[in-house]
Amino acid sequence: MLDATQASENVASVRDLKVHFQSKRGVVHAVDGVSFDIQDGETLGLVGETGCGKSVTGRSFLRLLPVPPGILAGGAVSFRPHGPCTACEGAGCEACAKTGRRASGDQPVDLLSISLQDMRRIRGDRIAMIFQDPGKALNPTLTIGAQMSEVFLQHRTAELLDRAGLPPDTAGAVRRFAAQEPRFGDGLILKFPPKRGQRAKLQVALNQMVTEALAETQVPNPAKLMDRFPHELSGGMRQRVMIAQALACNPDLLIADEPTTALDVTVEARILELIRALQQRRKTSVLYISHDLSLVRRICDRVAVMYAGRIVEIGTTEDVFANPRHPYTRGLMAAVPTAGTARGKLAAIRGTVPELVDPPLECRFAGRCPYETATCRQNDPSLQPVSGGHSVACFIDHPTGSQDAPSFDRVTE
Amino acid sequence: MQLRDYIFRRLLVLPILIIGVSIVVFTLTRVGGSPIGIYLSHEMTPSEVAEIQARFGLDQPVWVQYLQWAKGILQGDFGYSGVAAAPVSDIFPLKLAATMELAAAAGCVALFLGITLGTFAGARRNRLPDHITRIVAVSGASLPQFWFGILLLIVFWAQLGIAPIGRSDATIFASIDHPTGLYTIDAILAASPKAFWDAVWHLILPALTLGYGATAIIARMMRSALVEELQQDYVDAARAKGLAEKIVLKRHARRNALVPTVTVIGLTFGFLLQGTITIEIIYRWPGLGRWMADSVLRGDQGTLMTYVLFTSVLFLLVNLIVDVVYANLDRRVTLGK
Amino acid sequence: MSEITDSNFEKASVRDTAFRVRMRRFFGVLQRLTSNPTTVVGLVLIALMLAMAIFAPWITEANTPDAYQMPRDWGAVRKPPGTPGHWLGTTNEGGDVFYGVIWGSRTSLQLSLYVVGSTMVIGTIIGSVAGLVGGWVDEVLMRIVDVFLSIPELIFALAIAAVLGPSFTNIIIALAMVIWVKYARIMRAQVIQIKQNDYVDAARVIGDSKLNIYLKDILPNAVTPVTVQATLDMGNVVLIGATLSFIGLSEAGIAEWGVLVSEGQAGIASGRWWASTFPGLMIFLWALAFNLVGDGLRDALDPRTEGR
Repeated sequence: MLDATQASENVASVRDLKVHFQSKRGVVHAVDGVSFDIQDGETLGLVGETGCGKSVTGRSFLRLLPVPPGILAGGAVSFRPHGPCTACEGAGCEACAKTGRRASGDQPVDLLSISLQDMRRIRGDRIAMIFQDPGKALNPTLTIGAQMSEVFLQHRTAELLDRAGLPPDTAGAVRRFAAQEPRFGDGLILKFPPKRGQRAKLQVALNQMVTEALAETQVPNPAKLMDRFPHELSGGMRQRVMIAQALACNPDLLIADEPTTALDVTVEARILELIRALQQRRKTSVLYISHDLSLVRRICDRVAVMYAGRIVEIGTTEDVFANPRHPYTRGLMAAVPTAGTARGKLAAIRGTVPELVDPPLECRFAGRCPYETATCRQNDPSLQPVSGGHSVACFIDHPTGSQDAPSFDRVTE
Repeated sequence: MQLRDYIFRRLLVLPILIIGVSIVVFTLTRVGGSPIGIYLSHEMTPSEVAEIQARFGLDQPVWVQYLQWAKGILQGDFGYSGVAAAPVSDIFPLKLAATMELAAAAGCVALFLGITLGTFAGARRNRLPDHITRIVAVSGASLPQFWFGILLLIVFWAQLGIAPIGRSDATIFASIDHPTGLYTIDAILAASPKAFWDAVWHLILPALTLGYGATAIIARMMRSALVEELQQDYVDAARAKGLAEKIVLKRHARRNALVPTVTVIGLTFGFLLQGTITIEIIYRWPGLGRWMADSVLRGDQGTLMTYVLFTSVLFLLVNLIVDVVYANLDRRVTLGK
Repeated sequence: MSEITDSNFEKASVRDTAFRVRMRRFFGVLQRLTSNPTTVVGLVLIALMLAMAIFAPWITEANTPDAYQMPRDWGAVRKPPGTPGHWLGTTNEGGDVFYGVIWGSRTSLQLSLYVVGSTMVIGTIIGSVAGLVGGWVDEVLMRIVDVFLSIPELIFALAIAAVLGPSFTNIIIALAMVIWVKYARIMRAQVIQIKQNDYVDAARVIGDSKLNIYLKDILPNAVTPVTVQATLDMGNVVLIGATLSFIGLSEAGIAEWGVLVSEGQAGIASGRWWASTFPGLMIFLWALAFNLVGDGLRDALDPRTEGR
C-alpha cells in the first residue's frame, strides 16, 4: 500500500499530547501523553473503547475542543502541509495524482500553537474532518448546496472568481461574497445591478464546483441534491455529502471520526469502499478513528491502540494483528467474533475503563489485566519498540529491573 | 402530517375557541348586573319593567339571548361607550391605531434588543454580556411596568424635562392629515419631518417601557436556544470547514436558535397587548388600554367586554400565525405532536 | 427507580425505601438550590419580606380600627423622605409611605397565599380528574382550559374584577379564576405521563385501589412542576394584583403597593418622587425574589438544565 520513498515522510506527528478536562470531581486526563506519526499517504487506524480519548486526539488536530472545559495541557502536533508538485508546478500530473500538490520540504507548523487565523486556513483546506453522525454534523436548516459552498468560498476564492470569468482583483461586495466576509448591506448591493450579474456568475461557478465535488462521491444526480435539506436524505447519502465536503479542497490529512458508526451495516461497507478509493486516488493521509477492530484491519495500513488516554500499542496492521503484544489488544481481539469463533468463546474484558481524574502512577490497564503482577501496580510502562515499527507499552516485553515481570504464560487473575 | 393539514386543523379549532371565549365574555356581561340597568328607575311598575325587558329580549331563554348578542357582535353592533359618548364601533378604530402604534414600536424594540442581547449572552457565556442579559431577563419578568414607567417619567419628564407626555404636540398634530391614525406613518405620508420627529419623540419612552419586559422574554429564550445550538455537532463541523467564528455564529448557530425563539413571539404579543393598559395610563396615551381603564372605573362594562373579545381573538390569530411560521421554519418539527 | 442501591433492600419495606429515596432526592435538591448564588439572594429577599409581613405590627403601630387602611396624618402631607416620624415621606393625603411599604407586604402575602393556595388545589383536582378519567370528561375540561388560556391573563383578570366591582377581595377572586388553568394543565400532563410508567402498572397488578395508586404513586411524583409553578406564581400574582390595584380596582386608601404607586403618581410632576418609588420597589423585589427562587428550583429539580 505504501512505497518506501513516501513512507519516510510524515504528514503529521503528535508528540506527548495532553488534553485535560475540567470536571466537578477534578481534572480529567483525557489524553495523557500521546505520541505517534502519520505517514504521507497512509491510513492510520486509532482504535479504543468509548472514552479512551481517541476522538479528543483526532479533534486536537483541528483544535476543535470544547473550551472550557477542555484544555490543551501540553505537547505538540506538527503538521507538514503539502507544497506544490515539483513535476507539474501545480497543474496536476500523474506523479501528484492530479492534485497539483505533493509532500515536500514545506516547513512544518505546530497546530497547537499557531494563531487561530492560520488554523482556520488549514481547517477544511489542508486538514478536513468527517464526523460520526452525518445527521447531526449537517446544519438542518441550510441546503446541501449552501453548506458545501462554504468550503469553496472559504478556501477557493481565486478559483471561484476565475471560473466565473471575473478578474482576480475584483473588489467590493462581490469580492466579499466570494471570500465569505459579508458586511452589513452586502446582500442588498448584490441583489441589484450592476453587481447582480456578477453575483449570478459566481453562483453558477459555485454550483459547478459543488456538483463536481458531489459527483466524486458517486451520488446520483448531484445537481439536484444541492437544493435538498439534510433531513430529506438517507444516512448513507448524508455521509457521502460530508465526505464530498471534507475532500472538496483535496486535504493532505483527513480525520475520520467513526464515520460509519451511525450507519447501517450495508451502507457502512459502501462508505468504507468510497473513502478507501478516494484516499488511494488522491494519496490523502487518513486518521481513521474507530472502535471496530475488524473494520480497522480491513482499511488501515497501521494501527494505534489507545487505552485510557494513552497509546498502548502501535504498528503495521499485519504486525499488530498477527502478533499483538499488549494484553489489552489481545483482549480486544478476543472480543471480536470471527467466522471461526466457536459458540460461547467470545471473551469480554472484565471491568471498565478507569476514571482519569489524577491517575496514579501504575499501568492503566492494571486491574483489568489478566497477567498483572506487582510491577504493573508500581510502575507506569512507556511505549517501547519490540520490532521495526511495532511498539508496545507493557512490562511483558520490557521488564523493569529485577522486579517480578508479567508474562503471557502466567494468568494472575 | 402535512403542513396544509395542520393549518386546516388549527383553523377548524379556532372558531370553537372563539365561541368559547365569546360565551365567557357573554357570561361576564350578564353577571355584572342587568344590561338594561341604565333604562330602569324605581318609579317604574313591574309591568313597565317587563316591557323593557321584553324589548331587549331579556324574557327569552339565556341561549336565545346569547345568540342575539352574538348576532349583534357579528353585525358590528358593539354597544355604546359612555366614556367616549359615541358608539363603540366609531371610536374603536382610532384607539386601536394608537395602541397598535405603541405595541408595534415596543415589539420592534423587544425583537432587536432581545435577539442582540440573547446572541451576545449565548455566545459569550458567563462573561459580561451574559451577566447583563441575565439581569435584564430576570428583572424584566419581575418589573411592574407601571412603576418602571413612572420611574422613567420622574427622571426624564419631571426632573430633566426632556421627555414629552401624551401622543403628540397639539399644534403639530393639527398641521397634517391623519389617514391611517398611526402618527409616524401619517407624518411620512405628509412628508413632514417635524411631525415625524414629534411622533417618534413621543413614542420612545412608552415603547421602551413596554418593550422592556418583552425584551426579557425574547433575550432569555434566544440565549438558551443559542447555548443549545452551539453544542450541536454541526457547529463544530462548520468550524472544521475553516469558517470564521462570526459566520459560524451568525449563519449557523443564530439562524437555528431563532427558530425556537419564534415560539415565544406569540407569548410576547399577549404581554405587549396587556401591558398597553398601564403604559397608556401613565403616558396619557390615547389608546384602547386607557379607554378600557376609564370604562372599568365608570362601570362601562359593555365596552370592556368588546375589548376582551377583540384582544382574545387577536391573540388567538397571532398564535396561530406564529405556529404556522414556526412549522415552516423548522423543517424537522413534527406537527401536532 | 434506579436509585435504590441499598444493600439491605430486601429487609426494607418498599414504602420505606421509596421514602428514603425521596428524602435523599429532597436533600440533593436543597443542596443544589443553596449552591446557586442568585437563588440564595432570592431566598434571603423572601425571608426579609416574610419577616416584614409577620412583624408588621411591631415595626409600625397598626392603624385603628383597620390596620390595612393607610393612616392619614393631615398635618404632614407631602413630606419628603427623612421627615421625623415619616422616614420615607408622606403622600398627598398624608399617608405614611413607610407604613404602606410595611403593611403592603402583609396585603401581598395574603393575596399570593390565597390565590396560589386555592388555584393549586382547584387546578390539581381538575387536572387530575381530567388525566385519570380521560374520555369526554378530559375533552370538555381541556377545551375549557384552552378557552381560558386564549384570553390574556391581565385582561381576563381585569374583566372579572370589573364585573365583581372594585375591592381587593374581588381582585383575589379574579386572579384565582384566571390562574387555576395553569395548574390543571400541568397536573393533567403529569398524570397522563406518570400513568404510563411501569410502577403504576405494577401497583395495579398487586391490586391497589385506584385512589391509593393516585395518592401513593401519582400525586407525589407530579408535585415537582406544580411546586415550581407555584413559586413563580407567588411573585407573579402580586405583580398582576398590584397592576389591577394601580388601575383602580381595589378600594382607595388601603395599604397595598399598587394603590400607593397610583396615589403617588399625581405628585411626580411637582417633584414628589418618593410616594410611588418605594412601594413600586417593593413590588419589584417581591416578584424578583420569587422568580429567582422559582428559576433556581426548576434548575435544581431538573439537573439537565444546569448552567443554562
